[in-house]
Amino acid sequence: MTRRPLLFWVGSVLLAIFAGIAVLAPVLALHDPRQPLALPLSTPSRHHLLGTNDLGQDNLSRLIYGTRSSLIVAVSVTVLSTALSWIAGLAAGFVHRLESLLIGLVDLLLALPDLPLILLVLTLIGATQANVILVLGLLSWPAFARVVRAIVIGARVSPYVEASRALGGTSAHIIVHHLLPATLDAVPTKLVLTVRYAVFAEATLAFLGLSGGNTISWGEMLNQTFRDPLLFSRDVWPWLIFPPTVAITALILATVWVGSGLTTHRTTVRSGKFLP
Amino acid sequence: MYHRIFQLVGRYLVLVLGVVLINFFLPRMLPGDPLDFSTGDGLDTAVPITASARTQLAAYYHLDDPTLTQLRSYLVDLFVGDLGLSISRSVPVADLILARLPWTLALLLVSLVFSAGMGTVVGMVAGWTPGKRRDRLLVSISGMLAAIPEFLIAMSLLLAGAVGLKWFPLYGGETVFTDTGRGASYSIRQALDIAWHLILPAATLALAGVSAFILVTRDATAGLQNEPWLIAARAKGLSERQIALRHALPNVAPHLITFFGLRLGGVLSGAIVVERVFSVPGLGLLGFQAIGARDYPVLQALFLLSGLGVLLAAFLVELTYLCIGSAGRSRR
Repeated sequence: MTRRPLLFWVGSVLLAIFAGIAVLAPVLALHDPRQPLALPLSTPSRHHLLGTNDLGQDNLSRLIYGTRSSLIVAVSVTVLSTALSWIAGLAAGFVHRLESLLIGLVDLLLALPDLPLILLVLTLIGATQANVILVLGLLSWPAFARVVRAIVIGARVSPYVEASRALGGTSAHIIVHHLLPATLDAVPTKLVLTVRYAVFAEATLAFLGLSGGNTISWGEMLNQTFRDPLLFSRDVWPWLIFPPTVAITALILATVWVGSGLTTHRTTVRSGKFLP
Repeated sequence: MYHRIFQLVGRYLVLVLGVVLINFFLPRMLPGDPLDFSTGDGLDTAVPITASARTQLAAYYHLDDPTLTQLRSYLVDLFVGDLGLSISRSVPVADLILARLPWTLALLLVSLVFSAGMGTVVGMVAGWTPGKRRDRLLVSISGMLAAIPEFLIAMSLLLAGAVGLKWFPLYGGETVFTDTGRGASYSIRQALDIAWHLILPAATLALAGVSAFILVTRDATAGLQNEPWLIAARAKGLSERQIALRHALPNVAPHLITFFGLRLGGVLSGAIVVERVFSVPGLGLLGFQAIGARDYPVLQALFLLSGLGVLLAAFLVELTYLCIGSAGRSRR
């Protein structure tokens, strides 16, 4: 058993709380987040603990439902992106004919500035939550595909793969039983980095007005807030700005802390300090 | 040497071609038809269009030409700097871009210089005593800074500097509707006014980019600590300051050149968000307004421009490396 840094546990607890809020959103939210229920831009009261926005919707309920879209985007993008980079990395490392094509594509995608490209594509196909997930997933696989390819190339010439081949192992058998497991070591880092990227990107896109018409998200709440030119002359402005800001920051920091906790664990295992 | 430069130029020309082709094919390959007047939100506005009107429109915009013909005219137009007309403003996109470019360039350069300078100092301070408390603290702070999206940094600075302290303006690139007079004093006052408006946005971009510089400098400096020449310099009795500036800095600098080039793409992405928060009339704000209006010629031009800019920066970095490398070899 290894000791992990305190921040790792803080991050894990925070992530668990966020997940709980996302799952239990309909129970936790006292109001319908889409219904205008009270005076617009009213300061906190007993019925609306965080006040209301410019449409008279309850801020707290929107904050709770916003957790959902952040986590949905984060999880879906991570699954999609990890799967894609595995396939591309294994293909580039194993199939010679695909190698130069895939590496060229990876180089091009890594060189391009991602936000202008995402903005262009989302404006062309329309910004719905599904499209946001699709675009972020399809654009975030290259970096890890490179890592997978490097590991696969290293493992391909290793004695155990050679032995497996000599014993009559097919390519599919070698990929599934030897090459894929060799890449598992790098997966936790990839997962954490992609979750962070997805939360970051979803919030930024929503802040720029690309979250899809009916989606409630933290970035979208801030986008709506900043559309008001007289924002800072209203008493309610801290209640409009701080809750979503704190939520986004907390989710991202929790991911970072969990990630750095995992990597310290991995390096200590690698250096053999805690192994018998 | 020349052989390698030619290779480099060739590789980057392929990448440039890739960006241009992506820009051409994206709207044609993605679902959707420019003649379907849809809002894209599933709420299709009822614009009835007859089949004959549709054929006429398609013929007028050359939409039914073969793709290769379209590609050729696209490349020719691009070559003479014709980026098409903006949908929402009915002016050439190239004019819009040229009018907004100086603002974004100013932000980019100032923030890059600041984050490189700040990152070098902090990184060297941290890497000088690797593993000590000062190092761990600075590294974890810069890690957190990297984890915060630009628009959150922008909002914090806006709240602190403009709403709380009231030292800086809330929005805009310059004070409008003011009479600052004429002549030399006018230009100076205008320049000061613009600088006053751009301090917060530039600081945001600098802070968002600084952590990468800190980490690179820190690692490079920490790697130097066991070098024999550093121990020799210490044994000679030089002060730590002299060792850091005269001996360590020249060895750290090459790593910074790489990063200077690589950060450009990140700063460009950040500028879109930051210009929105502070309403700086640069390319980013243009992009934000284009999103709202679904003005994709403008977004296409922005993607093309930023893609080419990033490739140019990366090319210059690699060229610098080639030159440094060959100079080093010939001296030996």
